[in-house]
Amino acid sequence: MTIPMTGKAGLLAALLAGSAFASSAFAQTTIDVAIVGEADTLDPMTSTKDVVSIVTQHFVETLYTFDSSWNIAPLLATALPEISDDGLTYTIGIRDGITFHDGSSMDAKDVVASLNRWLSVATRGKGVADKVASVEATGDHEVTITMTEPYSPLLSLLAFSNSAAAIYPEEIIADTIDPVIGTGPYKIADHVPDQYLQLVRFDDYVSRDEASDGAAGARKQIPDEIRFIPVPDANTRVEGLLSGQFDFADALPAESFDRLDASDTAGPMLLKPFGWPVFAINHKAGLLTDKTIRQALQAALPIDDMLFAAFGDDNFFLVDGPLYPEGWVWRNDTGVEYFNQNDQAKAAELLKQAGYDGTPLRILTSRQYEFHYKMAEVAKMALEAAGFTVQMDVVDWATLGQRRNDPALWDIYITHSPFLPEPALTDLYSASSRLGWSNPEKDAILAKFTSETDMEARKDLFAELQGQLFEDVGFIKIGAFNALSGTRDGLTGVTATPWPFFWNASVE
Amino acid sequence: MARYIFRRLLGMLVVIFLVLTIAFVIVRLAPGDPAALMLGPEATAEDASALRAELGLDRPILVQYLAFIGNAVQGDLGTSIFFKRPVTEVLAGRAEPTIFLSLFSLTIALVIATPIGIYAAYRRGSALDQSAITIAMLAASIPSFWTGLMFQRYLATDLGWFPASGYGGPDADFLERMRHLILPSIVLGIVNSALILRFTRASMLDILGEDYIRTARSKGMGEARVVLRHALKNAAIPIITVIGLTFALLVSGAVVTERVFNIPGMGNLVVSAVLRRDYPIIQGTLIVVATLYVLINLATDLAYLLVDKRVKY
Repeated sequence: MTIPMTGKAGLLAALLAGSAFASSAFAQTTIDVAIVGEADTLDPMTSTKDVVSIVTQHFVETLYTFDSSWNIAPLLATALPEISDDGLTYTIGIRDGITFHDGSSMDAKDVVASLNRWLSVATRGKGVADKVASVEATGDHEVTITMTEPYSPLLSLLAFSNSAAAIYPEEIIADTIDPVIGTGPYKIADHVPDQYLQLVRFDDYVSRDEASDGAAGARKQIPDEIRFIPVPDANTRVEGLLSGQFDFADALPAESFDRLDASDTAGPMLLKPFGWPVFAINHKAGLLTDKTIRQALQAALPIDDMLFAAFGDDNFFLVDGPLYPEGWVWRNDTGVEYFNQNDQAKAAELLKQAGYDGTPLRILTSRQYEFHYKMAEVAKMALEAAGFTVQMDVVDWATLGQRRNDPALWDIYITHSPFLPEPALTDLYSASSRLGWSNPEKDAILAKFTSETDMEARKDLFAELQGQLFEDVGFIKIGAFNALSGTRDGLTGVTATPWPFFWNASVE
Repeated sequence: MARYIFRRLLGMLVVIFLVLTIAFVIVRLAPGDPAALMLGPEATAEDASALRAELGLDRPILVQYLAFIGNAVQGDLGTSIFFKRPVTEVLAGRAEPTIFLSLFSLTIALVIATPIGIYAAYRRGSALDQSAITIAMLAASIPSFWTGLMFQRYLATDLGWFPASGYGGPDADFLERMRHLILPSIVLGIVNSALILRFTRASMLDILGEDYIRTARSKGMGEARVVLRHALKNAAIPIITVIGLTFALLVSGAVVTERVFNIPGMGNLVVSAVLRRDYPIIQGTLIVVATLYVLINLATDLAYLLVDKRVKY
């Protein structure tokens, strides 16, 4: 921090000239990325936040990952595992010659220690821990996972960057990992929380040989540096992008689409579709434990109006009933006749049948995500027209995160999720989730779905599960919505995904 | 004089203790769980309660309070839940942008407000006076976030005169960081100049009607000397008061402006801390702000001594 000894005029001149220095100082080998906020942790095992996944996947890697069609592909593993015929034993080859950022080389012992930590601390790891009998090193570069029962989503869990089964050196495994040491193409150079996270190319990285395809294949380490800059205000992300401060800005407001489209410095990048809003239903306590009332709720909702109110522009939403969008293997039409019924008369009839006594239906929502709130407002009108008494509990996101854990406090809470490569990656279907959705038929289908390994059979089971969802009203998927990011003109090598990555990115 | 300062500092301790207690209670009255927030949307209730235990948030509230006060007396404001670093360290890291933003804004406000205020009073009822008052009203009524957004969009994004946001990256030196403060300082300077302008004008108007001003004039003293030497000096006390208050407000965090321009100062920190339910940071910021308020008030009172020999403590 040195202040040159110049006069006032000199100081002013230097201040004004700064922009010229700044733009020439970092040439185009640095990619500046504006993200929605500071990552809560740099250890992706311990968080399920998207912003944590986005940032950490650059320096921490997993055994598997996903290609652009969401197929599982090897990353630190040599290839897809050998799975025994009974589905209980996974033999995984580990790549030789991989170096951690601390200079040590990766072997099976590191992988075993990391997976054991994942099974004991990660939300997604803990969810599968009771089905894992052991994780053992069966060679210097071979690991064997033995299951107590077949569990088909295992590989997806090992591939997911969210609550990730990250591989760390055995020596740093502890309750808290700090600093984080991974094998990724970039390593952490400097971190000033709330200001920037500076990543630099890791010179000893050994890329895979396959062609790049989504997060799979070659990670070419094109930029010298990647900087993640937390910018909590969405409008500030837009201005920063348009003024040339950022090469990529994540999660931009729909209203900024036209400005980005018209700009000659940056442009819009639409992820179509990004995910789905969901009305999570309380099956543990309260009004909606009654199936007929749940069906009345489903009958009354005008999904198209809700989406229009929430997103305003056809470019940003899709009135689509099935749980997966067109083009995904999980796509099917079972039960979609119950989607978007917008039939308040039918709902009123169902309420009468159920002997509804006017107990308020409590919708817990937050304005952190304005579209949640707008959907709830429209839903409220339709539900009232059907005869429901509706109580809106509008709180901030932190409060919602706490209250939804207490089944006594809500009937519906609103959230959203990206479309996930494997349905079992969300626990909404599970009887043990905070929704507590359970009936013998659905539980049996779900159990079969997670233990079946044949893909065709799994697709059929998922169709049955979707049928159950609509018939028993487990939760309500409110169509689909798109996400807007922005890219500087000339930025290439970045694909639209909920968890964008930049190792193959370059700017002309 | 020394006794007076000692008494004031003693009073400050009482204020700070009250702020400590109120801050502690209020942040915990707000619902919301920092642990559930940190673990992300898919985390289970069990995970959240385990983390709460680890963070010591499951202890009885009185135990937490006593531990907090005990540590605070020793200058330890606790450890940030989010950053996992001492609160004092986190706050110290946010001091530079906030202090310089406040100083620049105040300077800009003074440069705008005092000459216009003095001249408007001197030429009372003139076109300049009328327009100065109107513009000052306007500047005070337009919310700073709107001014901020407009300046950001047109002066930074479209014209490229200033950086649109942030505080410079890893390689930003001091000058580069200060360059990022120019535009937000102009916004805050304009917004805050309104009050100072009105106080300067009102205070000068009072004094310019005094007998001794007429006496000074009738002695044949030059107008500049009458206005700047005799009138301004006597009008200074209310002006200094409002300058002190403005400065205290600025230092305590220009919340909205820091947010719009993504300046990593105290205002931005406290907003994030509230959203993250980072109790120790919220408490720490409140304590620092309260202390600054008291100190700036004290400095303001002491400044009276410089401009008015009749003031005695």
